[in-house]
Amino acid sequence: MSELPPPAPEPANGQPPADDRASTEAPAPSPQTTAGATDRAGSFGAVFLTTFTTVFLAELGDKTQLAALLLSAESGRPVIVFIGASLALISSSLVGVVLGRWLSRVLPPQQLERLAGILMIGLGLWLGRQAAMTMLPLA
Amino acid sequence: MQLPLLASTFVTVFLAELGDKTQLAIVTISGTSSRSGAVFAGSAAALVLASLLGAGAGGSLASVIPPDALQLAASVGFLVIGGRLLLLAGRNQDAEESAEQNAEQNGDV
Repeated sequence: MSELPPPAPEPANGQPPADDRASTEAPAPSPQTTAGATDRAGSFGAVFLTTFTTVFLAELGDKTQLAALLLSAESGRPVIVFIGASLALISSSLVGVVLGRWLSRVLPPQQLERLAGILMIGLGLWLGRQAAMTMLPLA
Repeated sequence: MQLPLLASTFVTVFLAELGDKTQLAIVTISGTSSRSGAVFAGSAAALVLASLLGAGAGGSLASVIPPDALQLAASVGFLVIGGRLLLLAGRNQDAEESAEQNAEQNGDV
């Protein structure tokens, strides 16, 4: 389910793609590309842990608004609020995963990796700056 | 009646979460990993646990763990993942270039 379709081979000689797809399709993968693919895939546990830690840390620091929401509903039914919030968070992470899958199909992986790396570093710098500014208030 | 409360909570949190840095992180991780199932399971578990902690501890969580420290830890995590992705992109580019060179050499022979 999670396997990406192999990229369509470019006709190297500029000819339109011939109909004998069996011969042109599925070029023998070079050792480098297979190594990169397994590197990117990782094991289920490793990917799970990486995602869990990142999202958990990022979300916990951001939890004050949700805690306030839950507290505000504490007079009523906190369990219902918790269920609603959990469903919303699961849906939003599903949206994120689907968006990522779509991007990985539209963009070449290397370009996506570079964009994603820049985005993550930008987010990290922004988060760190925010935390540092509240921790060390500059007079 | 519980349904209006459930629905209003769902809509509020869902809209607040769209385009949030957490979701950007999920998009990034899922786009660069071929294991979408693991990414979804990990992010969903983390979000539910975080909201459970928030609900259980309420306001007291912020007094036990300073949110700034958590944000700092999250920023370090983002930087590490971003650096790894850039390294990976560079290494794949090198591999592609050497593969192209190999192909050219093979073509010459």
